[in-house]
Amino acid sequence: MRVLEQAVVHFSRLCGIILLGAVLTVIGYLFVHGWSSLGLSLIFGATPPLDALLMKRHVFNGLFPAVAGTLSLVALAICWAVPMGMAAGIYLAEYAGPKIKAILNLFFDIMAGLPSIVVGLFGFAVAVFLNRRFSGAIHPCLLISSMALAFLVLPYITRTTQMALEGLPLSARMTALSLGASRLQNIVRVLVPQSLSGIVSGIILAIGRCAEDTAVIMLTGVVASTGVPRSLLSHYEALPFYIYYISAQYTNSEELASGYGAAIILLCICLVLFLLAFAIRKRISYHALYRA
Amino acid sequence: MVMDKTVKIRTENLCFSYNGRAILCNSSMDFADGEITAIVGPSGSGKSTFLLTLNRLWEAIPRCTLQGAVEMRFNGRYHDIYGRDYPVTRLRRQVGMVFQVPNPLPMSIYKNVAFPLQLKGGVPKENMRSRVEECLRQVRLWDEVQDRLHASALDLSGGQQQRLCIARALILRPEVLLLDEPTSALDHAAAKAIERLLLELKRSCTILLVSHYLDQVSRIADSVVELHNGRLVSKAEYD
Repeated sequence: MRVLEQAVVHFSRLCGIILLGAVLTVIGYLFVHGWSSLGLSLIFGATPPLDALLMKRHVFNGLFPAVAGTLSLVALAICWAVPMGMAAGIYLAEYAGPKIKAILNLFFDIMAGLPSIVVGLFGFAVAVFLNRRFSGAIHPCLLISSMALAFLVLPYITRTTQMALEGLPLSARMTALSLGASRLQNIVRVLVPQSLSGIVSGIILAIGRCAEDTAVIMLTGVVASTGVPRSLLSHYEALPFYIYYISAQYTNSEELASGYGAAIILLCICLVLFLLAFAIRKRISYHALYRA
Repeated sequence: MVMDKTVKIRTENLCFSYNGRAILCNSSMDFADGEITAIVGPSGSGKSTFLLTLNRLWEAIPRCTLQGAVEMRFNGRYHDIYGRDYPVTRLRRQVGMVFQVPNPLPMSIYKNVAFPLQLKGGVPKENMRSRVEECLRQVRLWDEVQDRLHASALDLSGGQQQRLCIARALILRPEVLLLDEPTSALDHAAAKAIERLLLELKRSCTILLVSHYLDQVSRIADSVVELHNGRLVSKAEYD
């Protein structure tokens, strides 16, 4: 029995090390191949960075439009998905009856398993429909892409919100009610703040998915070169598409290195967004629970 | 029967079941105003469940059903607490509850005590501050926490947390206080302090106390109800 227990412990440790090793290998590989290309010129090309940031001059031969496009895309998609996903999760955990809950759980599980290319195709169909309906005024664009991405990540946010709320002990659920809180007050002031850790995990997963997905945006508005997105209805560039495009079409080793550099920048953007999500969670928790 | 005393709580043919299993069966009982009534009985006899029927908190637990009636006397007349015209939030503000295990919210000490007032709304900040101080003094916690009111309540000791929970229940000035073994997790000194507090509180509210400690019951209870297999089987008056 003791041998079996030790074997399980060693196997679990080994799996953890393999996983960590795989992640470090991928990151290391990217840095080895992309390190030489990293620099301000990779992002801003020949344009002075301040001019580019203040939108005074266009950036050619740089990743700035793709970085701006990716950030806009992620921010928009999260703006659509978080309120809807959280509301649906709260409904499932707190209000839905057993039958409706079973049906919706199945629906969200199926939705989570949808291949992103199918979601992209659906977004494209919506864009075509709107194009016909509004006489060519709307075409595949940032808005359609962000909505399609929001649709893709909605089930993650919904299910993590639901599970975080359902995971709270009955005592936590009863405390505020026993003090005269209404059901809504209990949800908003006690249950959601106490579940924020789980909910933010879902949002982080969604941010990562929005930032990396290529199939959806390829069909709904991303292009290889168009500059910084000027409006919700314009085309845009994005880092994952740039990485895909450059790795398929590169003509020399410098271009390939810039693809690796773009991948490193994408990883850094994800890291910054994750840290931002954690900081917001901490701030909201403090605000909701501790501030007098 | 409560003789020559104003009845505060009246239960009639109360039947409660969880997941199809009967917990309370035809429990009818009157509870006198301004008294401490101890509810005793073996584990699993339905004592805590009985308390939950008096503030409708069982409704937060899935797969429960209740039949029968509960009336409480507020502002000189009896109200059916399960009636459509009696809001559950109003009931729970008039009927405070303290649980067996201290359950401070993961908030500051101040915010924990002020929380019921914030939920109710309409109380100015200055009044709230003085009410918090008043309640913390009432449970003899003020001297221990006055210089760290904005620290987490979870950092308090078990006894302090339980006194905090009582202070939180008192801040709405409830007319009925339900206590589910409030001293079971406390040491002797902390338990004695809470007993003294309950004796003071009975001047202003009716207290129903679930307890396993018969010596405690004999010290502070005015009357005793025994729950056995879901039935209120006996009631003795204590001097």
